[in-house]
Amino acid sequence: MSNNTNSNIVTSSWNEDVVIRTEGLVKNFGKLQVLKGINEEIKKGEVVSIIGPSGSGKSTFLRCLNLLEQPTGGKIFFEGVDITDPNVDINLHRQKMGMVFQQFNVFPNMSVKENITMAPVLLKKKTQEEADAMAADLLNRVGLIEKINERPTRLSGGQKQRLAIVRALAMEPNVMLFDEPTSALDPEMVGEVLDVIKRLVKGGMTTVIVTHEMGFAREVSDRVLFMDEGIIVEQGKPEDIFNNPKEARTQSFLSKVL
Amino acid sequence: MTFQTFCENIVKIMVKYWDVFLIKGLSITISLSIIAVFFGAILGALLALGKMSRFKILRGIITAFIEIIRGTPILLQLYLFYFILPMALPALNIETYPSIAIALVVNSSAYVSEVIRSGIQAVDKGQTEAARSLGLNKTQTMLKVVLPQAVKNILPALGNEFIMIIKETSLASTFFVGDLMTSYLTVRGATFLAIESLFIVGVIYFVLTFALSKLVGVYENKLKNAE
Repeated sequence: MSNNTNSNIVTSSWNEDVVIRTEGLVKNFGKLQVLKGINEEIKKGEVVSIIGPSGSGKSTFLRCLNLLEQPTGGKIFFEGVDITDPNVDINLHRQKMGMVFQQFNVFPNMSVKENITMAPVLLKKKTQEEADAMAADLLNRVGLIEKINERPTRLSGGQKQRLAIVRALAMEPNVMLFDEPTSALDPEMVGEVLDVIKRLVKGGMTTVIVTHEMGFAREVSDRVLFMDEGIIVEQGKPEDIFNNPKEARTQSFLSKVL
Repeated sequence: MTFQTFCENIVKIMVKYWDVFLIKGLSITISLSIIAVFFGAILGALLALGKMSRFKILRGIITAFIEIIRGTPILLQLYLFYFILPMALPALNIETYPSIAIALVVNSSAYVSEVIRSGIQAVDKGQTEAARSLGLNKTQTMLKVVLPQAVKNILPALGNEFIMIIKETSLASTFFVGDLMTSYLTVRGATFLAIESLFIVGVIYFVLTFALSKLVGVYENKLKNAE
């Protein structure tokens, strides 16, 4: 077991407004360098969209933030703690970082309710009664309350993704990471999932979202990062990035997708 | 030999020796198979966990063991245990049946460990990632998310392994442990009716394995429908 006391060591110069900071983040897959030293900060309450061509490293960047991918180099600070430090108990920090995947990854061996209550109860954040009440409340909010006792295999793609979102929310995270949450959905189900994310964002949740939905990114983001070939090529307010991109690579990408 | 005398001989053998086949032979074949699969599954599960661990040396040893067991004939393994166990542990005075049972357990553990390992690895990696992203540690992820899903892959394959073992126990008759095939040797010696005795034993083996494979099939369908 990792030493828990280390998990609470906050770097002295930590700005309370920052939730996540990466310093020189590098990720190699074999000889291929996917992330080439990324320095970035996500601030409290901020909604950041990451766009870019496939293979640009945007999903890898997101997956490094909660260490689902182990960085090859550089540091990642979450609420002031360097989570790349091997002495840090990453499991404690992951409880505070919700993640939603392209392929939903709901647990088929549990009911809809158990999908939501399993982690908070197992990790002793809630009693079963509290978790049950919260599950009902969350399912109500995303319109899935009548599915509470169903198996997730009976849900549509959009319903599965809404379940995956509330499953992450049940841990009461301080930041939500979305990895192309609508890319595996049939077109008619994209809207219902984006609506849930929109409401979450309006509620003030700090959010990082990798997406191909340019209209959505433009609408909800405080900031848009354009990534290509392992670096953040350009970033700024959505209206600047989408209306007046400065870099040639950004212009070329946007001309293809808009 | 006409078909009629063949049938008459079978009836005669069954009237006189039914207990040799159906009580002694069948019970030893089944008991050997159950021991082999049950303890093979326990040992196999440990091997599978060892093979997926992060200790390189342990992984190497287990891989070598599995490859050797799967790469050599089971009859050879039976001989080996038959000779070596009583020699290695003379104080225990190990008889043929335990030696053979242990050999079968070791053999089936190698196959079962691969069944379990592939059953675990067939569970979508996204399931592990989702569980870890919620803050579950490796053990919690395994127990709550991966294993319950892996069981659905593993149990039918384990049933098939049981069927394989039932057939493989026939090799144990080389050492006269009293299994179904030994019953054949006994009855053939007493009656000199080799083909009739073989036929009877063959039918019993077939009924046993066929019924079991149907059971496994029903169970598999049930799992599918439960999804």
